[in-house]
Amino acid sequence: MTDKNKPQKPFSRRSFIQTAAMTAATLALPGCSRKEKPVLSTLTGDFDPLRSYPYRGWEDFYRKIWTWDKVVRSTHSANCTGSCSWKVYVRNGVMVREEQAADYPRINADLPDYNPRGCQKGGCFTEFVYSPQRLRYPLIRTGERGEGKWRRATWDEALTLVAEKLLDNVYNYGPDTNSFFSVIPAMSPVSFCAGSRLAHYIGGVFLSFYDWYCDLPPGEPLTWGVQTEACECADWFNSKYIVLWGSNISQTRIPDAHFAYEARYNGAKIVCISPDYNASATHADLYFRINPGTDGILALGVAKLLIDQDLIDAPYVKEQTDLPLLVLAGTKRFLRESDLKSGGKEDVFYFWDTKQQRAVPTPGSMGSDQKTIQLSGADPALTGTFQVQLAGDKTAEVTTVFELLKKELSQYTLDKVAVRTGLPAHEIELFARELGTRKPAMIIHGAGTNHWFHNDLINRSFILLVALTGDIGKNGGGFNHYVGQERIWPEQGFFKLAFPETRKKQRFQNTTLWSYVHSTNKDPHLYNGKPIEWYIQESVKNGWMPLWPKNGKKPRAFIVWRANYLNQAKGNEILESSLWKDLDLIVDINYRMDTTALYSDVVLPAASYYEKVDINSTDCHSYIHPFGKACEPLFESKTDWDIFHALAEKMADVATRKGLKPFHDDAFDWNRDFTQLAHDWTGKGAIQTDEQAVNFILGNAEETKGMTYQQIQQKPLRFVATDPESWNSDIEPGVAYTPFKHQVDKKRPWRTLTGRQQFYIDHPWYIELGEELPTFKEPVAEKYPLYWNTPHGRWSIHSTWRDHRAMLRLQRGGPIVYMHPDDARKRGLKDNDWVRIHNEVGQCVCRLQILPGEKPGRVTMYHGWEKYLGFKQGGWQSLTYIKIKPTQLIGKYGHVNFRLNYWGPTGNNRDTKVDVEKAKV
Amino acid sequence: MSKHQYAMVMDLNKCLGCQTCTIACKKLWTDRDGTGYMYWNNVETRPGLGYPRQWDRIGGGWKDGTLQPSPLPPMDDYGHAWEYNYEQRLYEGKKQPVMPSPEPQSGVNWDEDVGGMNADENYFFYLPRICNHCTYPACLEACPRKAIYKRDEDGIVVIDQERCQGYRYCIKACPYKKIYFNEVTGKSEKCIFCYPRLEKGEVNACAAQCPGRLRFVGLLDDPESPVHKLVLVHKIALPLFPEKGTQPNVFYVPPFNPPKRENYGKSILEDPRVPLDYLVYLFGAEVKDVITRLEAELKKAQEGGRSEVLQLLIGRDAETRFHVRPQLVQIQV
Repeated sequence: MTDKNKPQKPFSRRSFIQTAAMTAATLALPGCSRKEKPVLSTLTGDFDPLRSYPYRGWEDFYRKIWTWDKVVRSTHSANCTGSCSWKVYVRNGVMVREEQAADYPRINADLPDYNPRGCQKGGCFTEFVYSPQRLRYPLIRTGERGEGKWRRATWDEALTLVAEKLLDNVYNYGPDTNSFFSVIPAMSPVSFCAGSRLAHYIGGVFLSFYDWYCDLPPGEPLTWGVQTEACECADWFNSKYIVLWGSNISQTRIPDAHFAYEARYNGAKIVCISPDYNASATHADLYFRINPGTDGILALGVAKLLIDQDLIDAPYVKEQTDLPLLVLAGTKRFLRESDLKSGGKEDVFYFWDTKQQRAVPTPGSMGSDQKTIQLSGADPALTGTFQVQLAGDKTAEVTTVFELLKKELSQYTLDKVAVRTGLPAHEIELFARELGTRKPAMIIHGAGTNHWFHNDLINRSFILLVALTGDIGKNGGGFNHYVGQERIWPEQGFFKLAFPETRKKQRFQNTTLWSYVHSTNKDPHLYNGKPIEWYIQESVKNGWMPLWPKNGKKPRAFIVWRANYLNQAKGNEILESSLWKDLDLIVDINYRMDTTALYSDVVLPAASYYEKVDINSTDCHSYIHPFGKACEPLFESKTDWDIFHALAEKMADVATRKGLKPFHDDAFDWNRDFTQLAHDWTGKGAIQTDEQAVNFILGNAEETKGMTYQQIQQKPLRFVATDPESWNSDIEPGVAYTPFKHQVDKKRPWRTLTGRQQFYIDHPWYIELGEELPTFKEPVAEKYPLYWNTPHGRWSIHSTWRDHRAMLRLQRGGPIVYMHPDDARKRGLKDNDWVRIHNEVGQCVCRLQILPGEKPGRVTMYHGWEKYLGFKQGGWQSLTYIKIKPTQLIGKYGHVNFRLNYWGPTGNNRDTKVDVEKAKV
Repeated sequence: MSKHQYAMVMDLNKCLGCQTCTIACKKLWTDRDGTGYMYWNNVETRPGLGYPRQWDRIGGGWKDGTLQPSPLPPMDDYGHAWEYNYEQRLYEGKKQPVMPSPEPQSGVNWDEDVGGMNADENYFFYLPRICNHCTYPACLEACPRKAIYKRDEDGIVVIDQERCQGYRYCIKACPYKKIYFNEVTGKSEKCIFCYPRLEKGEVNACAAQCPGRLRFVGLLDDPESPVHKLVLVHKIALPLFPEKGTQPNVFYVPPFNPPKRENYGKSILEDPRVPLDYLVYLFGAEVKDVITRLEAELKKAQEGGRSEVLQLLIGRDAETRFHVRPQLVQIQV
C-alpha cells in the first residue's frame, strides 16, 4: 500500500522485483529529460505511478492536437431553428474542428443563459466540407437524371447554358415558366436574396416553403393573423407548466431543451403528450401516451373541463378573444354592422354589453374606427341568446361564440375523450386542473401534431386552451410553435434586399398547390362530396390562391438552392415521374451532392457554411450572429451571392450578344431590360459583395439599426428594437421576448378581421365543412394498418447530415424504421431485418429496429434520408402523396389571404398509412 | 491520493441523449488513424447493451484487493466504424445505393432509446460515460509497463503514448471498459479529461459543448467547486458501480422517469417506472436515499418553494457549472 491512510482499499502495489522481472530493464536516471529516456526502456527504478511519473514529456502529444492558427466565427443554415454561433478552428489552412462560441449575452441574472448553443451535427460540419459529397466543380449531366453521370464543366460553360435557357423561356414561354425554390431566409438571408433578386428581375415565380413543409401552423394565421409567433426559448424558464405537445424537444430543440428541464428545477411541471415514449417523455412529470391523431379531441375535452370547472380567465377572454362576439343563429355568420343598417360595414362586429343590455360594436375590428380593443367600461356577455333589430325592421336571434363553443364542446365528454385518446380519465382531469391553475402555462408545439391533415383544427384547439386560461401574451405562457427557422428578425431590411421593387411586383406561389397541379398527384378522397380539384378551381377562379404559370402552361426551368426539393417532397415518386419529366432545365446550387442535385441537369458548387459571409437569426432567441469565411470557398466553389451575381452578368452578356429587346411584363407593366440585369441585381452597383449585402439588411431594419457585419463577427448582439409592422411585442432589455404584449398589455387590436383572437371563422367553406369553430375530425381514412410517422429527429436537420459518416456511425449506419415489438411479432420480424414498407402509393426497403417505446399501430422513420443512401428500394417519401385541405385554399377573408409562407395549403403527411413485411433481399 | 482531484458530475435528468459530447470528444481527440471505432466519451441508453456490449457484466476492477480482469472484448462488441462509397453512386453512374461497410450488426449506439420494460411500460435514460479517472485505477495496476499514471497535481489518469506497448492488460482490468486499443499506433488510448484544456483554464470539451448543460466540473477538494458541493455537501451524486472498488471521480445525479400510467402524483418509491433494483444495480444501495431526497426537493420547488440543490443543478451559466483552477494545479513535467 502506498497510502497508509487507506489500508482497506484494494490497491496493492507490485514490488519492483516483480515488475522488473517482466521486462528487460534499462537504467535511466531519475529526473532525466524526455529525450534521454531510452526508447525501449522499461522500469528503471521503483516509482509509483499513483504519485509520480518520470517521463511526462510525452504529454505534449495530446497538447499539440488542441492547437490552431486561426479561429473564425460562423454558423450553419440547415433550417434547424437553432441559429447557433460557432468557432471554426483552422490549422495549416484546413478547417479542423468547431466548437460553440458560447458567448451569447445573458438576458438577466435569473434566466439561464443560451450557452453553449449547438448540437452534435453542428459539431462535425467540418467533415462535410472535405467529404466525397462536397461539390467541387460545375457539373453537367451526361447520363439520365439521377444516374450520377457527369462531366466537369467550366463556370463559363455552365452559366451560359443556364442563362440562355432562362432567357429563352422568358421570351418564348413567359417569365412565369422559370421557377425558383429556396427555403428559410432567416438561416442565411444573403444567400437567399442572391437568387430571389434574380427571380425578381427576370419575373420568375418564387415558390413558398414554410407551408409546403407543413411547418406553418395554419391555426396561427386563422386565429391570430400572424404567420407564427413564439416566445424565445429562454422564456420557457419563466413557465410553471410546460406542455410538450407534438414536440420532442430533446431531439429537435437540442440547444434549447435545457430551458425546459431547468424550469422544472425552478418549479415548473412538465407534461409530455406523445404516442411514443421518447427522449423528451423521459423528462416529464406526466406522460400521456396518446393514440395517434387524437390530440384534437384531447384539447377540446380539456377545454370543456376548463369551462365546466370555471378555470377560465373570463376578463381576458372577454377582452382578448372573439368568444363574446355575436353570431346570427340562422346564418351562423357574425352579426355585422351591415346586418344592422344598410350601407353598414362588413368588418364591424358586436358583443352584448350586459351593462347597457344591448349589442355594441367591438372596438378594434378591421372596420372599427377605434385602434384599441380596450372595453372602456363595457362588460361583454359570454353567454346568452339575444334579439337584435336588423336593417329593414326584422329581428333576429343572436348568440355568442362562447355559447356555440360550449355547445360544440358538449360532445367531448371525459369518458369519450379518455376512450378515443387511450388516456386515463382521472389523469386528463388532473391535467385540466393544473393547466387552469398553474400560471403561467405554455404549450410547446411542434411538427408531431402540426403535420396532420387537420393541423388547422388541431392548432386552433390548442390555442383555445391557453386563451381560455389567459396565458397568451404573457412571459412563460402561451402557444409556442417551433418548426422551421421561419422568423427573420431584421425583416424589412431583408425584404428590401430580397425583392427590391417590393413584393407587389413579384410572382409568388404556394408550393403545395404548384406541386399538386403540375404533377400527376391525385387525392382520391372527397370533401363534402367534392374532389379537391373542385376546390382548387374555385379558389384559383376567385383569386384566393395564385397558380403560376398561368393559362395551363407547365413550369420549364427550376432553380433550387439552399434546399433539397425532390428528396423532401411529399409524393416524391409521383413528382419524379411527372413534374420532373416536364421540366427541361433543373439547376441545383449546393455545397453537397444531395438527392435534388443528383437528379439535376446542372450542378453549381457553392461555398459551404464556413466559406461565406452572411447572417442568421431564429424564433428561438433574440440575437443576430454571422457566417464567416474560415477559408476561401474550396475548390472551384463560389458563394451563393457570387454565383447569382455571375449568372446575372452572364444573362446580361447573352442579352447583349443576342441583341434582345426589353421584355414587357404585362402583369406588372414592367419593361425588363436584361442587358442591364447585373446593374439592377447589384442595386446599381451599390451592393457588390456579400458583406455589403449583410450591412444593407442590418442598416435597413429597426431590429439591427447601427449594427455592422464586423461588430457581429466579434460577438452575437441582441436586437435593439422590434419593428411594429412585423412584431407584436417590444424587445425589452432584461426580459425574454414573448409575443402579443402589444395586444394584451397595450390593448392594440389583434391582426384579425375581428381584432381579437378569432376562434370563429365564418367563411362559407368553413361553415359548409363544419369547421367554423375548433372541432375534432378524425385523420383521413386510409386502408393500411400502420401510421407512417416521419418526424424530425436528432440525427439530421431534414436531409442535411443524413449522409454524414460521423453521424451514421452513431446510428445503425443507414435508414431504419422503428416498430413496436407486438407489431413485429405479428409479422414475424426480427430486429435489424430488411423490411419492405408499402402502400398504394409506393414502397421502400430498409432495416427494422424494434423499439418498445413506439406505439403499436404506428411505425416511425425519422425523416430526411437521402434517397441514394441505405435504401435497397425507394425512399421515405415514396409512400406519400400530396393532400390539400380545402379550408386552406380560402382567401379574401379579412386577415386570411394568400401571402408567401403565411397562408396557403400545407403539405401535410402524418395521415399516411402503410404495412410492413419482411423484404426479400 | 493525488494532491488535487478533478471530478465531473453528470445530472442524468438533464441529458438529452444528443451525443454532442461524443462528437465534441471525437472531433477533438479521436479523429486520427486507428481511432474510428473509439469513443472516449459515449452516451448509452440504459438499460441496454452498452459500449462495448455487456461491458458491465464481463468483469474488471477489484475484489478483495485483487484485480478481476475480464476477457478482452472482441471488435464486434464495440461495433465497426462503417465506411461509405459515395463516389460510385454520386459521380460514377453506378446504380447501387450508398451502403455502410461492413454490414451493420452492432455499433456504439446500437440500441439507442430501446431501454427496458416494466410490466407493459417502457423506460430508459441516457448514461454518458467517460474514463472515471479513478482514485484506485485498476488499469494502472494492471499495466506491466508502468505506462499508466495518475497525475499528482490533478488526479487525471493517463496512458503514456510512448511507453505503452499495447499489451491491453489495462483494458481487461478496467471495469468500465473505457480504454481502447489503437491498431495503427499499437497503443492503448483513453479519455485524458482534456488536460491540455484544463491546463489553459478551459473546461473539458464534452462539458463545454454539452447543450443539455448537465456536466459540472471542478476539483473535488475545492469547497467552491460545484462538484464538491454536489458530491460531498448535498450528497446527491453517485459513482457508477462503486463495488468495483476503483473509486471513480465521475459522479451521476440519478434519473427520474415520469410515473407509470395511472400513477401521476405517486412517490418515486411507489411503483416507479424505472425499477429501483436497476438503479441500485448501477449506483449502489445509496441511490434510494438520493432519489428520495431529490424527489422531495423537486416537490418543494414545484409547490412554490426554492430548493438550493436544484438551483445549483439549474447551472445558469458556465461559471456555475465549471470551476477550472489552473492556478491551483501546478503542472508537474
